[in-house]
Amino acid sequence: MISNHGDLRERIRGALANQRARTVTLLSSLLAIEDELGYIPPQAIEEVARFTHSTINDVWGVASFYPNFRFTPPGEHVVEVCWGPTCHLLGAQRLLHAVLGALALSGEGDTPDGRVSLKYNTCLGACSQGPVVSIDHQVLGPQAVGALSGEALVERITEMVAELEDGSV
Amino acid sequence: MAADLTLFIDGREVRDQPGKTILQVATESGLYIPYLCYSPGMKPYGACRMCVVEIEKTRGTPASCTTPVADGMVVWTNTPQLQELRKGIVELVISEHPHGCLTCHRVELCGPQDICLRHVSVTDRCVVCPKNERCELKDTTRYVGMGLTTPLTYRYRNLPVENKDPFYDLDMNLCIVCGRCVRVCEEVRGDSAMGFRERGGLSLVGPAGGSSLLESGCEFCGACIDVCPVGALVEREHKWEKAVERVSTTCPHCPVGCQLKLEVSQRGRVIRAIPQLEAGANRGQACFKGKFGLGFVNSRERLKAPLVRRNGSLEEASWEEALSLVAERLSGYKGDQFAAIASYRGTNEESYLLQKFARSVMGTNNVDHSSNLRPEIAEPLRDVLGYAAATNTIWELEDARCILAIGTNTTEDHNVVAVPVKRAVKKGAKLIVIDSREVELTRYATVWIRPRPGTDSILLGGMLRAMVDEVMEDTAFLRERCDNLNTLKHSLWHFDLNRVEEMTGVSQEEIRLAARTFAQNGPAAILYALDNVPASHREECVRALADMALLTGNVGKPHTGLYPLRPGTNDQGSWDVGCVPHLLPGYQGVADPAARAAFQGAWGVELPQSKGLGVREVFEAASSGRVKAMLVVGDSPGFSNGELGDVLEAAQKLEFLVVQDAFLTGLAQVADVVLPSVSFAEKEGTYTNLERRVQPLRKVLEVKSTQARPDWWIVCQIARAMSAQGFDYASPSQVMEEISRLVPLYAGVSYPRLLSQRGLLEPMSWPNFPIPSQLYPAQGGQRASLQWPCTSQESGDTPILYAGGFPRGKARLAPLEVRDVPIPTTVEYPLLLLPGRVLHQPHRGAEIQVAGHKSYIGRDELLEIHPSDAADLGIGDGDWVEVISPGTRMRLRAQLTERALRGAVSATLLFGGLASRLESSEDPDPFSRVPGLKVLPVRLEKAV
Repeated sequence: MISNHGDLRERIRGALANQRARTVTLLSSLLAIEDELGYIPPQAIEEVARFTHSTINDVWGVASFYPNFRFTPPGEHVVEVCWGPTCHLLGAQRLLHAVLGALALSGEGDTPDGRVSLKYNTCLGACSQGPVVSIDHQVLGPQAVGALSGEALVERITEMVAELEDGSV
Repeated sequence: MAADLTLFIDGREVRDQPGKTILQVATESGLYIPYLCYSPGMKPYGACRMCVVEIEKTRGTPASCTTPVADGMVVWTNTPQLQELRKGIVELVISEHPHGCLTCHRVELCGPQDICLRHVSVTDRCVVCPKNERCELKDTTRYVGMGLTTPLTYRYRNLPVENKDPFYDLDMNLCIVCGRCVRVCEEVRGDSAMGFRERGGLSLVGPAGGSSLLESGCEFCGACIDVCPVGALVEREHKWEKAVERVSTTCPHCPVGCQLKLEVSQRGRVIRAIPQLEAGANRGQACFKGKFGLGFVNSRERLKAPLVRRNGSLEEASWEEALSLVAERLSGYKGDQFAAIASYRGTNEESYLLQKFARSVMGTNNVDHSSNLRPEIAEPLRDVLGYAAATNTIWELEDARCILAIGTNTTEDHNVVAVPVKRAVKKGAKLIVIDSREVELTRYATVWIRPRPGTDSILLGGMLRAMVDEVMEDTAFLRERCDNLNTLKHSLWHFDLNRVEEMTGVSQEEIRLAARTFAQNGPAAILYALDNVPASHREECVRALADMALLTGNVGKPHTGLYPLRPGTNDQGSWDVGCVPHLLPGYQGVADPAARAAFQGAWGVELPQSKGLGVREVFEAASSGRVKAMLVVGDSPGFSNGELGDVLEAAQKLEFLVVQDAFLTGLAQVADVVLPSVSFAEKEGTYTNLERRVQPLRKVLEVKSTQARPDWWIVCQIARAMSAQGFDYASPSQVMEEISRLVPLYAGVSYPRLLSQRGLLEPMSWPNFPIPSQLYPAQGGQRASLQWPCTSQESGDTPILYAGGFPRGKARLAPLEVRDVPIPTTVEYPLLLLPGRVLHQPHRGAEIQVAGHKSYIGRDELLEIHPSDAADLGIGDGDWVEVISPGTRMRLRAQLTERALRGAVSATLLFGGLASRLESSEDPDPFSRVPGLKVLPVRLEKAV
């Protein structure tokens, strides 16, 4: 957990200074912070403005343009459900409804206890294994969880997500 | 200029120069093409596609705002196909803008309470939109002819109106996301206080991440309001009042002399100020003072009748009684026991009349204007160059390659001058800021030098020395145009850089870097106000600056020169017409017998020959009894902020004090007679701005049911009551005729010339003006103004001084000397406080606290202290300290940093704090008293 503002700013400055991108830009700076913290806090907007010699409004304009940046701390675990065409045809809808049910959410977002963040993903790039979800950046499909049928997959994933939510993981 | 291309727009032949766009050419010739995202004065954007046209032999329908004109082009702006395209665009635009009234044919006839046959709810009607009569979307919709078939539904965004910022209301339900506000802030003002947020259908404009303008670095110049085509961004005050008249006049707040269109309501109040695009001084820009600080005109506290002291208290009297009393009493104080002080907002005519009154009627040279607190900042230019004035125009700065700004808080004190400076930086110019304080321009600086306060002249000498050492001078220019080079070079031997470094606290590398930056990036210009240079060192500074400009060949050419930034609105004009103790009109010395003889001939009286007392000496003379009677016109910040000492106490020692003012100011309260004068908006006259531009004041309002009169009239009446000859003027125009006869620099200035204008579309019968509002800011027109020297009625004016040579043939380089800097600190107040004010500090977040519907910046303000100073005082990092100066106390949190100068502490506050303070001020005219950033001696105490 982030304890206080001072530490947060230090981490932001560190992330800005140690970027690996070949061309350091406003966008690469935002990405570096997203990688470091998982989200873009208001302090990061200020620090990026200073770092790139622009204003907070310019930074905010870029940051708010991309839906992949988030501005609140993410949950402890991130679940992404793929709803790309392939997964959709292979039954992603059922999987999605099951996950939503397990997390008691009605759409993308964070659970109230901050444990899990749910995101839709337009393609996780694992079409051959679809339908897939990713839990904490690990892509899981029927083979990965050893499910032979669609029902089994839904059941297994629901279980895993529920474990995340009740804290047993 | 010869027209070198011809094109046909809607069958009409139009001639113009290349380089313009079709939209510009059409608008300038009075042909209307609707547009929404374009705005005159900004770069074309080509986003809204409203301005599409058909060009014969060209495929498709290009946007006329981005298509340059070409010879022989045949353009059609209004074909059925284009109108259909535009209808489609308008339908999309108004699908999120309340538009029941926009498409209604009887919109002009509808009142707020009417029952609407179209069932447009009251809150969605155009009549309740603050921009109703100047809505560009409405003009466009009507031009396109959206019929009754237009869908009446729209998506209302249901966002709350944001009214937490000073001066502004933001109603994002009305925004059409044309981006003009974002672009004007970034492109024209260089601030970027607003941006686009989100994307696609959710996209809107505003400050970052739900913050407010207070935090986001807004300077509250109002440029975004002026360009907003709809009611999304408006001035909060008088939001609901409609204008019935618009009159152009000059802003009375500072020497930039912005031309503003003042909108007047039916009740005879000034409700809005809109800067003029066609004005040479401000090019459509204004600042927080001109945009939001003219409310004093409407104040109820204005004086309504003359006041005369009877039995110790001021009571109303008639003009006859007051004038005869003034005349009778003043007759007893002729000669040097009398002094007159003109207003810093006085017109040329008024300043001229007051000095004529003092000299010819009262027989004394004790006459000055109240803002003449730093006469030294322009005077030495007369010796070196020839004229005590800025050499070039304000907007030439935009194309300078290097700008040196020294001791000036330009963004606040002369706001619009900072606009071309920031634009120049955007174009790649170098900006050198020499200031111990952190001011807004430091954010844009290539080199920011913080010398020890008061050592500026030594630093400049060091820079000159570095230039000479590295042979960076413009030898051809020096050989042909300057004298005294060797004397100057010889004097520079005393500026050994080791010594300069030691005295100023600035490293030799930095001095060399600044010198190289200036000398190697021509054309270069110099802005200076010398805010915190002690009076004894100012002349030396100005000489050094003039030498620097000459040495590098930066005089008499475009985008170069020197800009002395004086504080008062009409300081330049007051000097020109001789409202100073040592000069007759036209810079002729009072001691010069030939000059005196000329004026004696013109005025028909004997004139005094000894130099009089200026505003800085006169109150001391009043305390000591040397001056016994005074006539003071107008108020001045200097009367109350301590800069002139205790003025009230001195005034009370006077035997007779007459004050002419619009308000019962502190000084008026101790006067024997108070004569009510009208404000700038109710009189005619001329101001001469800091670039020598003579501009007219027009009568915006009639004087209503009060006995207040213009200052020129009052001075004439006093003179006539004293049976003086030569004060029978019927209007300020006649005074100007006399000035132009006597002052060669003004020989070509006359009211008919100043009031003429070229190619401007003026609304004929406003507000029922049939032409769309977008046609008024046609760029082709120009409002007349004259920059002196303007030597005859036929000749043109002089935007650039010394372009054809110096008045004396050659400029005279002035030798410099190293002088000891007076120590401003005392035993009691051993440290110097360097105050600063910037628009934002991105590394230090600001929080907004809301109190009583108003927002204030709430954050721990930091005081930067050098660790050694802090150790001496036992202050640790993060401790609360009290900063105490005579009369004030501030509580700040200490921050120890090696960046700080030893012996000095600095505190930089946000401009937003000042803005909210100005807005909530009870003073009728707080904008004329914006506190300056004065370096002060202080002491620190650890707070408990």
